[in-house]
Amino acid sequence: MPVNPPDEAALHAWVDDELAPESAAEVAQWLAAHPEEAARVAAIQAQRASLQALHAQVLEEPVPPRLLRALRRPPLQWRWPHALAAGVMLGLGLGAGYGLGQRGHGALPPPAGGVALLPVFVREAAAAHAVYVPERRHPVEVAAQQQAHLVQWLSRRLGVPLKVPMLDDRGFHLVGGRLLPGEAGQSRAQFMYEDAAGQRVTLYVSVLARERPATAAPVAFQWTADGTTRGFYWIDGQQGYAVSAALPRERLHELAEAIYRQLEQAGAGTGVDVAR
Amino acid sequence: MDVDAAIAHIPRLRRYARALVGDAARADDLVQDTLERACQKWALWRPPAAVPAAEVEAALRGWLLALMHNLYANQWQQAARQRTVDWDEAREPGHDPGSHTALRLDFERALARLAPPAREVLLLVAMEQCSYAETAQMLGIPIGTVMSRLARAREQLRRLMEGEAPPRGALKAVK
Repeated sequence: MPVNPPDEAALHAWVDDELAPESAAEVAQWLAAHPEEAARVAAIQAQRASLQALHAQVLEEPVPPRLLRALRRPPLQWRWPHALAAGVMLGLGLGAGYGLGQRGHGALPPPAGGVALLPVFVREAAAAHAVYVPERRHPVEVAAQQQAHLVQWLSRRLGVPLKVPMLDDRGFHLVGGRLLPGEAGQSRAQFMYEDAAGQRVTLYVSVLARERPATAAPVAFQWTADGTTRGFYWIDGQQGYAVSAALPRERLHELAEAIYRQLEQAGAGTGVDVAR
Repeated sequence: MDVDAAIAHIPRLRRYARALVGDAARADDLVQDTLERACQKWALWRPPAAVPAAEVEAALRGWLLALMHNLYANQWQQAARQRTVDWDEAREPGHDPGSHTALRLDFERALARLAPPAREVLLLVAMEQCSYAETAQMLGIPIGTVMSRLARAREQLRRLMEGEAPPRGALKAVK
């Protein structure tokens, strides 16, 4: 039963898995009977495989900070005209228009009377969570085995005594932690935990600007769920904390409470002591 | 959905850009421009309604790749107009010692000799494993054009690898 010879486009479509099953079967049958053409098609497949392997190491590299910043800070030349236009069009005035242009980016503090924004550190925490949680080879900089060093190092870099909460009784063991750059170059810390199923939780610790009045933000868990990133954050004195994971809200709340309680036990007011 | 959803796509965007422009720093510049553009236009992006999360991710990736295509097309069209950039010279492989084998260099160099539109189609289909329909949508061209460019690009790449390239371009002495 002779099959019609496939044209050039059909051969490529066959390599790229674009054909319906019946047509693909016909091409395969025809190739089986035409070794010369089959060799040519095999070369196309080999070329496709080479392209798939090309620069694979780039996928393993940490994302350069400037690319993360690019997502959070729209260029000024766009922001102003857009904000002004929005303000004029909606008749809301400059302040509200500016707030509209800013919405969702969180690069600047909210304008007076404008839209309330997520604190910058919460967005940083979500970004850091999204980048490092899928990481298989280098999820942390310093592993839990070197816990004393980890705590000492991050405390020194953040300029406050830190404590690493332990979540083992909730099924999550400490993987380790890393130092991260925050807005305007401050240091931030991220601790990562993992359960037996490989589910990961991160705790992001940020020291807030000194001029911020401590009374402005009472301790209260705030829920945030933007897209795939969900978690609780709270501000305690000069420190902002964000707990993120792809877990149900109740589960995350339990973890956040456990963390908060451990940090409270360790110290009062400005937070916590260095763990031994 | 928040613009941070784009973060998960950065590694693949970097790799694609790297293959597209050749040089590591210029590739990251292109990714940065793409992300900034995405940030500006985020309000315009509408995820498909009522589909599985994986399809929303695929749609977001397609949108980001389309933004990158527009920026890249501007670059090379401008360069072609002004004739200030010699593609063969500008795309000499970058400064990334250690990870290249001799064969890889040949492959990269050959890839770099393709015309930008041909390289885009080839990389989207073969490296990024986009469907013909997705590729056509991202590049704003008919599917038939995707298929003919793809076949031509593959044939050119094969010839370049096998030293069958026509004298114009490929055999040109550089410096």
